Amino acid sequence: MLRQIIKDFVIQQFNVDPAVFDQPGLKVADLGLDSLGVVEMLFEVEDLYGFQVDDPARYSSMTFDEMVADMETTIRAANNGQIPAPASLQGKA
Amino acid sequence: MSNHPTVQRVVVTGIGLLTPLGLTRATSFDRLLKGDSAIRPAAPGITHWLPHALAADVDPAFAQALDRNEQGLDRATQFALLATREAMADARAADWDIQPERVGVFAGIGLGGATTGEALYTRLHEQLQAGRNPTVMHPLSVPRLMPNAATAAISMAYQFRGPTHTYSVACSSSAMALGEAYRSIRHGYTDAIVVVGAEAMNVPGVFMAWNALRVMAKPYPDNLAASCRPFDQDRSGFVLGEGAAALVLETAESALRRGATIYGEICGYGSSSDAKHLTLPSSEGQYRAIRMALDESGIAPAGIHYLNAHGTATEAGDVVESETIRQVFGDHADHLPVSSTKSQHGHLIGAAGATEFAISLLAMQSGSIPPTAFLDKPDPRCTLDYVPREARHGQALQAVMSNSFAFGGSNVSLIARRYA
Repeated sequence: MLRQIIKDFVIQQFNVDPAVFDQPGLKVADLGLDSLGVVEMLFEVEDLYGFQVDDPARYSSMTFDEMVADMETTIRAANNGQIPAPASLQGKA
Repeated sequence: MSNHPTVQRVVVTGIGLLTPLGLTRATSFDRLLKGDSAIRPAAPGITHWLPHALAADVDPAFAQALDRNEQGLDRATQFALLATREAMADARAADWDIQPERVGVFAGIGLGGATTGEALYTRLHEQLQAGRNPTVMHPLSVPRLMPNAATAAISMAYQFRGPTHTYSVACSSSAMALGEAYRSIRHGYTDAIVVVGAEAMNVPGVFMAWNALRVMAKPYPDNLAASCRPFDQDRSGFVLGEGAAALVLETAESALRRGATIYGEICGYGSSSDAKHLTLPSSEGQYRAIRMALDESGIAPAGIHYLNAHGTATEAGDVVESETIRQVFGDHADHLPVSSTKSQHGHLIGAAGATEFAISLLAMQSGSIPPTAFLDKPDPRCTLDYVPREARHGQALQAVMSNSFAFGGSNVSLIARRYA
């Protein structure tokens, strides 16, 4: 779910080729985002789950899947091990 | 337009500083030379949500100097008025023989009425939550909030009837206001201009928005006051400051007529746009602004004896700026003292350009160069003489430069030399 949210955002916002996401071991750096772009991408998830990532710069050296896993861990740590329904999506059809 | 057949020489005869370091020019500059830092934990309304937030706030005692009317103005306008008061007294402008129609007020403002805006929306939401009618707003909310509130207050207070301009170019705002004021006087549109830079936006909503950009300094483990570390390996970003700087600019003719003290002559102004990235700096754009200022001044690179850097202590900013300086100044770069005083007063955004240009003039006048206060381990990519840790005294400075590089890609470079 998180992976899909971020992937959709990056494709739409930054015109990244969807085929890029089929690459095994895709790196965050391979998406071609600058530091502001990375922060914008993270905000898509932060806004849904009501938290802020501590140090976005560290994601630049991770693979895309490592970043998604790291964000999942962060969300679970703040919610008793669960991934709750995203706050911003509640009440929407 | 002008009756003057030739261009006028433009000098600075008054300086007012109201900064996180002090409420006057003298205290601000003295503390700067001592290497003192005004960086502290941010206000409780901010640290409640961001426990590690830092800020460089103005001493609340500033408000004692405000009369009843001024107490109702936006905080940034209050700062602007008080800095102007000091600058006007310093210039002995009461003795001016200049017609008020020939005196302008130019301001550099980043967000302007941030405090008023935040209060307005806070009130709206509080009224709504309490089930009360939200339409009852203070009738002066708009004129307090507007970016030209400072120029309006100053022109009314001193009866200046010339042009009032407000430049809003983020971190370059008041540097641009200075440059444009210099041109206005130089080309005969005005005889004197009070230039003021003002900013006050350390309120929770605005602060959290800055925080989301991930450009704010983290607390330095051993010494919180040393958290803003331009050009240092351990730098982690800038600290939001607030305050105002005011400078009285006039023709050399009028300054000499009444025997005013001249801090220096403004002799070079460059302005350029990167047209590249919203927040990342570009060496090419910076280079053109600096080069333009140097060309106008007619001063060779080796003739610049101190440079007050933009030096925000961000990862990209410090490296790009250092490269640009090396490129412009060539061999002289190794002999040019460059310091970022943001290490002590924080980033005054709209007020930064005027504050740092005023500091450069005070350095030239006093012969004392303020340091980059907490530079212990320079980033290997930053290879200039950053005047680390301690001020340098007894320097014969003939000309000084101050650079400002803004979000949005607007670059401004200013040069002043001793008046002779």
